[in-house]
Amino acid sequence: MVWKYSDKTQKLFMDAVQGKEGTHLGEIKDADGIGEHGSIACGDAMRFAFKVRRHETDPLQDIIIEVKYLTFGCTSAIASSEALCALIEQKEHTPLTALKISNKDIADYLDGLPDQKLHCSVMGAEALEAAVIDWAKKRGVDLRPYGINIDRQNLDEDHGKLVCQCFSLTDTYIRRKIKELNLHSIADITNAIKAGGACGSCHHSQGGLQDLLDEVWKDNNNTSNNSNSNNTQTKDKNMSSSSNEFSNDNNQVQDQTKVEGENKPKLSPYQMGKKVEEVVNQKIRPALARDGGDMEVVDIKDNIVYCRLKGACRGCMGATMTLKMMVERLLKEDVDENIKVVSV
Amino acid sequence: MNIKTENERKIIYVDNNATTSVAPEVFEAMVPFFKSEYFNPSSVYNEALFAHNSVEKSREKIAHLLGDVDPSEITFTSCATESNNMAIFGAIRANSNVNRSQSSQPHIITTAVEHPAVIQVCREAERYGAKVTFLSVNKNGELDITEFVRALNVDTLMVSIMHANNETGVIFPIEELSRITKETNPNIIFHTDATQTVGKLKIDLNSRSGNFRYVDLLSFSGHKLHAPKGVGSLFIRKGTAIRPILIGGHQERGKRAGTENVAGIVALAKAMELSLESGSENGSGSAGASGGPAYKELLYLKNLRDTLESSIISKVPFLEVNGAKAKRLPNTTNLSCHYIEGEGILYQLNSYGICASSGSACTSGSLDPSHVLKAMKIPFTAVHGSIRFSLSRYNTMEEINYISKVFPEIVRNLRRLSPYWNQEKDCPREGAPAV
Repeated sequence: MVWKYSDKTQKLFMDAVQGKEGTHLGEIKDADGIGEHGSIACGDAMRFAFKVRRHETDPLQDIIIEVKYLTFGCTSAIASSEALCALIEQKEHTPLTALKISNKDIADYLDGLPDQKLHCSVMGAEALEAAVIDWAKKRGVDLRPYGINIDRQNLDEDHGKLVCQCFSLTDTYIRRKIKELNLHSIADITNAIKAGGACGSCHHSQGGLQDLLDEVWKDNNNTSNNSNSNNTQTKDKNMSSSSNEFSNDNNQVQDQTKVEGENKPKLSPYQMGKKVEEVVNQKIRPALARDGGDMEVVDIKDNIVYCRLKGACRGCMGATMTLKMMVERLLKEDVDENIKVVSV
Repeated sequence: MNIKTENERKIIYVDNNATTSVAPEVFEAMVPFFKSEYFNPSSVYNEALFAHNSVEKSREKIAHLLGDVDPSEITFTSCATESNNMAIFGAIRANSNVNRSQSSQPHIITTAVEHPAVIQVCREAERYGAKVTFLSVNKNGELDITEFVRALNVDTLMVSIMHANNETGVIFPIEELSRITKETNPNIIFHTDATQTVGKLKIDLNSRSGNFRYVDLLSFSGHKLHAPKGVGSLFIRKGTAIRPILIGGHQERGKRAGTENVAGIVALAKAMELSLESGSENGSGSAGASGGPAYKELLYLKNLRDTLESSIISKVPFLEVNGAKAKRLPNTTNLSCHYIEGEGILYQLNSYGICASSGSACTSGSLDPSHVLKAMKIPFTAVHGSIRFSLSRYNTMEEINYISKVFPEIVRNLRRLSPYWNQEKDCPREGAPAV
């Protein structure tokens, strides 16, 4: 995919990787708030830390004086991290006022992000929130009056039902984000928080992304969405049933021995396998062993015996010849004259 | 950073598995068909004869280069994706009642690491009732022959397995797989997508002596071997039942309707001639019936690739060469850097004028990293940090040295930013997920 990053995004990324002055790469010793979001398995992860000038009596008046981050991720993830830090430094921020910085502010600071990259800005906002919660715990601040449940990251999200297996996201988290970020379609959700972006199996499953969207926005009478998705599903079903040109009722299990349709008595696959094994162990392997070789039977299908030469025989120019001549002859004589040997 | 146009800065193009530059000789060969020889090869007047003959001569040349097969076995298409669609859908449509009792589903065997032009076509066939086995690969990217043998069954209609993987360059043993298939049941159709290997590896389809004599269908395209985009081909062995997927004209003996891409077809033949004949002087890669690629060129590419690889390995810790233990294409290397993300590497490489590609999620357009690397179970600490360099005859040792010089620096820059990396000790940070 061709990059469609703004000049600002490109510049912030290059400045960051080159460690230019004014960039915010790194960690803070004795940080007052540390927050993480994402994981290496999901493709991006950020650790964000800040330090405050502590107010003597009122922690709410702590002022953020230093911000740093470490980010594993793509160009826009790193640029978003820089943007977050720059936004906080633009004016005097307390942790609570910093919290007002949203993913949209980050994207705006970058002069916009491609839709598929919006999740990078969301990661920045999430890491910031986690860091503020960490600060609040250390400073004994109760964030609940400000509409933030300190424990929600530990409680709700862990106890919710896993919806997006690929990125380990629960229904409680997704539901909250649908509301907070005003997401109205599955594509919106994927762009913002990655849910549904890999295997896609949670899009229309029961309790999946579409169901969560319907549930959150049902007050807005968003029935068109709902019926649309139903339509597609029925259409899918029609397609596959009407165009089953190859598959008919195939409940009966095919017995391979029947297909050849010989009229003389045949060994059952089990008997055949036993017999082949016997001949191989008693006659063929001892013969091969004299030359430092060995063989194994990989599979038997019908009258075809798949053999693999091992030891000194493996890679030997005459290997196929050996199999064809000796193994096939012995098996034909002792087991079934229709046997064919295929070397693998 | 400013991305300048190609004219203003030197470009090092090492993404030749994506596409290649058009060879000057190939370009020259095409020119007449954009000028005076614009006629429709199907027209009756004398003026159209040259266009018609050029198409047929190109067909003969390609048939010769692939092992003196019959020219009628070469069908021109618009790209390898079309060839793959035609091979798979065409074979299913023509053969749904062969091999099996009326009551069963057609079965296709393919691999988990095919190009999307095969995987997604197989997935589509599943919707129409086919049953598909996707063979797994090991951590080197290799197939397990035993798994393949066990997958063959009485309903198997076709096998479609690529010759070499576009991402890692890992080569599958098509000679052996096609032989096992045909010895199991000659009615099973064997298809291989040879898009990455025509012109690079020996492909001899001669029905008596060729190493690919058991292959029924073979797809390839022009733009991977210095012809332009927009032309491809499907080899269809005589006697292979296949229905067309583009219908509405007599062209290509009714197998593929649509006015011929005359310039593209001429270009494809010229490009194959350049790749396959230039080595004959060397003696090791004679052209024609033996279908040998230019051996000297392959040694040249291998030398460049190996130099690049060993230089980077010596300078960058925690780096994997994906598929290193398998047989690989001589021009491809796929590297994974632990604890960093591939897009950031690509982006910086590009600031030096280097064009490469990555299997990272951020470059794929989805959020999922490369299905090939995932199938190889590359550790998740590295799967996002993969970079592919794929070389061509136009790359030089000077370029390779330049890449080896800047690459370690680029990795260091990103690791410095990574929450999983300890910059001072140049190793993963304590507590980072283990490699």
